[in-house]
Amino acid sequence: MNVIETVDLTKRFGNFTANDKINLTVEKNEIKCICGENGAGKSTLMNMLYGALQPTSGKILINGKEVHFKSPVDAIACGIGMVHQHSKLVPSLTVYENIMLGIEISKKAGKFNSPFIDEKEERRQVQELIEKYHFQLNAEDKVADLSVGQCQQLEILKMLYRNVDILILDEPTSVLTPQEVDWLIDNLKNLSRQGKTILVITHKLREVMAVSDSVTVIRQGKVIGVARTKDTNERELAQMMVGRDVVLTVSNENGGEPGSDTVYEVSGLCTNNHLGLDVLKNVSFQIHNREIYGIAGVEGNGQSELIKVLTGIMLATKGSVRLFGEDITNLWPDELRRKKIGIIPEDRYKHGLCRDMTLADNCSAGYLDDAEITRRGILNRKNMQKRCHDYIEKYDIRIADEYGNVSQCSGGNAQKLIIAREFESSPRLIIACQPTRGVDVGSIEYIHQCLLDFRNKGYSVLLISSELSEIMSLSDRVGVMYKGEIIGEADPKTASVADIGLLMAGTIPEGMR
Amino acid sequence: MRNHIGKKIINSILPVALAFTIGGIIIALLGSNPFEVYGVMIRKSLMEMKGITRTLQLASPLLLTGIAISLCFKANIFNMGIEGQLVFGGFMAGIFGSYVTIPNPVLHILLCFAVGIACALAFALIPAVLRAYYHVDEMVVTLVLNYAMAKVLEYLSTSVFRDAGSGYVCTPAVQKTAKFFLLGKTKMTAFVFVSFAVFLIISFIMTRTKLGYSIEALGKNPDFAEATGLHSRKKVMTLMLLSGAVSGIAGTGWMLAEKTFYTLDFSGSPGLGWDGMLIALLGRHSPAGIFVAAIFYSALKTGSEKIGLYTDVPNEIVSVIQGLMILFLSIQFLDERFGLFEKLKQKKADKEG
Repeated sequence: MNVIETVDLTKRFGNFTANDKINLTVEKNEIKCICGENGAGKSTLMNMLYGALQPTSGKILINGKEVHFKSPVDAIACGIGMVHQHSKLVPSLTVYENIMLGIEISKKAGKFNSPFIDEKEERRQVQELIEKYHFQLNAEDKVADLSVGQCQQLEILKMLYRNVDILILDEPTSVLTPQEVDWLIDNLKNLSRQGKTILVITHKLREVMAVSDSVTVIRQGKVIGVARTKDTNERELAQMMVGRDVVLTVSNENGGEPGSDTVYEVSGLCTNNHLGLDVLKNVSFQIHNREIYGIAGVEGNGQSELIKVLTGIMLATKGSVRLFGEDITNLWPDELRRKKIGIIPEDRYKHGLCRDMTLADNCSAGYLDDAEITRRGILNRKNMQKRCHDYIEKYDIRIADEYGNVSQCSGGNAQKLIIAREFESSPRLIIACQPTRGVDVGSIEYIHQCLLDFRNKGYSVLLISSELSEIMSLSDRVGVMYKGEIIGEADPKTASVADIGLLMAGTIPEGMR
Repeated sequence: MRNHIGKKIINSILPVALAFTIGGIIIALLGSNPFEVYGVMIRKSLMEMKGITRTLQLASPLLLTGIAISLCFKANIFNMGIEGQLVFGGFMAGIFGSYVTIPNPVLHILLCFAVGIACALAFALIPAVLRAYYHVDEMVVTLVLNYAMAKVLEYLSTSVFRDAGSGYVCTPAVQKTAKFFLLGKTKMTAFVFVSFAVFLIISFIMTRTKLGYSIEALGKNPDFAEATGLHSRKKVMTLMLLSGAVSGIAGTGWMLAEKTFYTLDFSGSPGLGWDGMLIALLGRHSPAGIFVAAIFYSALKTGSEKIGLYTDVPNEIVSVIQGLMILFLSIQFLDERFGLFEKLKQKKADKEG
């Protein structure tokens, strides 16, 4: 019996066809992965299933019955819950208040409901749910204080509380740490055994293989292929997704040995977060010329803070940062860029781009002081547009309207825009943070190649990523962060993934002491 | 892209059209022909030399307060203190113009402007520093300071600087050398040119300079602005002080070109600063929009001065129309926030498709 079936489902936005006659079937209790590059139309499809968008034509059948969702409320009533890529939570409320939002439990006055909320009961129920699924949450924490990973957990929890039968997850692992990913996979399998049907949108093939029963691949709004997971493999899926053979891992082996001149030196860096906790403790490392230094670690061990300090949006309380021997500790972001440091920020849409500004404006962001862009405070719009045009051509950024806003870009193309901007400013050092997060396979390869080419020209890269495979295949040396410290360094060519895994868990393996 | 601009224009015109329609109904109920009344208004404010020049004269301070508001609002700095800064600047310029004698009129006027700008700037400094360095909500501070300033000026004009020869509360008129005179047979003064020049400069800053870029970035994504190298604290100071200075120019101009002495209703009702806010909203924070809105709004004012003379309808009908405009404008505001319009459209599309 098909729980979900779509018949010739089509969605157009103006002239653009996002989904073209999609026929999708999902069986009961199965975990179905929808794969595709960014912009392939996965999210549009899911939004239609979830009632956030209405199809232009075609039918959706749930449990064999045709449905017309006007809004997500209808979908939830039908037992379909969605966990979004970008969390939709109220930051000023607590965990339990977010879960109970809209379905608060009233205090009982005899047989009747009183208008007051029974917070004690709400807290109890939520805490119970958290413990049942082993979430790393506390019912009374404020959402504003949660990490991105925890917010995602909360989103899932919210749907579980609402007893949905069909769970849709949009890029659920893009913000999770490796451990959290494994945990999520276990839980999804567990949930499907309990009778839930799960749809996962993703482009991480490793996770597709690990979690799903069957896969549907979408490219340019069309279904390209359907397969049972056990009958296919990563390479085949990747080929279907991008339509060409992808080198899944680029390696840095042919670029020559790293140099010996110290380019970037961080010593004894410390900082406190807004709660006054020590989040960075004596972080020290050096990067030489022609070297990629990777920082691995489970998310939440100080990498975000390290990034913020190194990119000038947070102050270090102790320690120093030097570039070619020059002290650049606690400089502002614009001053760092003037020192020729390219910054690829961790949160693309928060620190890297402004969605509601034009592509041209974004292409010049951070580099407004360039002589060709600004003279005596006056912008040269023509040159800005030209620069934007050049970047689009050179970096193969696919967009519909060159004069439009960044909001039209898919994740991969938005990231390429940042890559273009930072690499074209002739930097001496690139700080790349989660450079391929939420980016499609084709762009990942491209971005990796950019970083490697940059290194092979003799420059240095600081690569901070929670994607271990990325760190392992690109870096010349790897530092592992644990609880605000770099607890060990390893050579990815000789160290095993298991050793690095141990470091990430806070244990220093035998051979590395 | 074009669609977007079209929607913007509709969003600005719709409240105006609705206000005029309802105003027309009221006029009809009063027993007059609304087309005739509106005809008089348009003729007297836009078709005759005297009317046009009067409209331009009235538009001068509004252009400035409108753009001063946008300058801050666009960057998500809610400077509600334009009104207070304007009256303070105007008051001090008026005092300087009447108590200090300088024979050269150009110099006298320039110095009056210097005083007006300096005072408005100093007054804007308070909320600017509080916001930039102590994270105090600028909206509350600027809003409240308007009333504080009104009371201070009331005190000063009723005691220290009161013109003893006058039968009502006012300060002495500025000296002849500090006055802007009507040009030829028109109803406007050279202040119109001053205002237009300042307006053009600020428009240029907003659209074509690095500062303008910063305003947009700050308004649309402050984190992005900081991370790409904007020192937001400095920018908040710059923008609040700049808009303070522009309100100072507006106040000084209004004093030297129109009022010549300070009375308790110097800025009119609801006040030039508040009118500026309406204009900034009507013009959707774009310089061209603000220009059109300011001219339109002043034409209404000119029309209201004439309407009682030439028709049977009381002047107050214009206040009614202005009130309705604000009402409909706020509905449109809601639309932006909650997307009512989008939802309706979606519903319609669903029915069709």
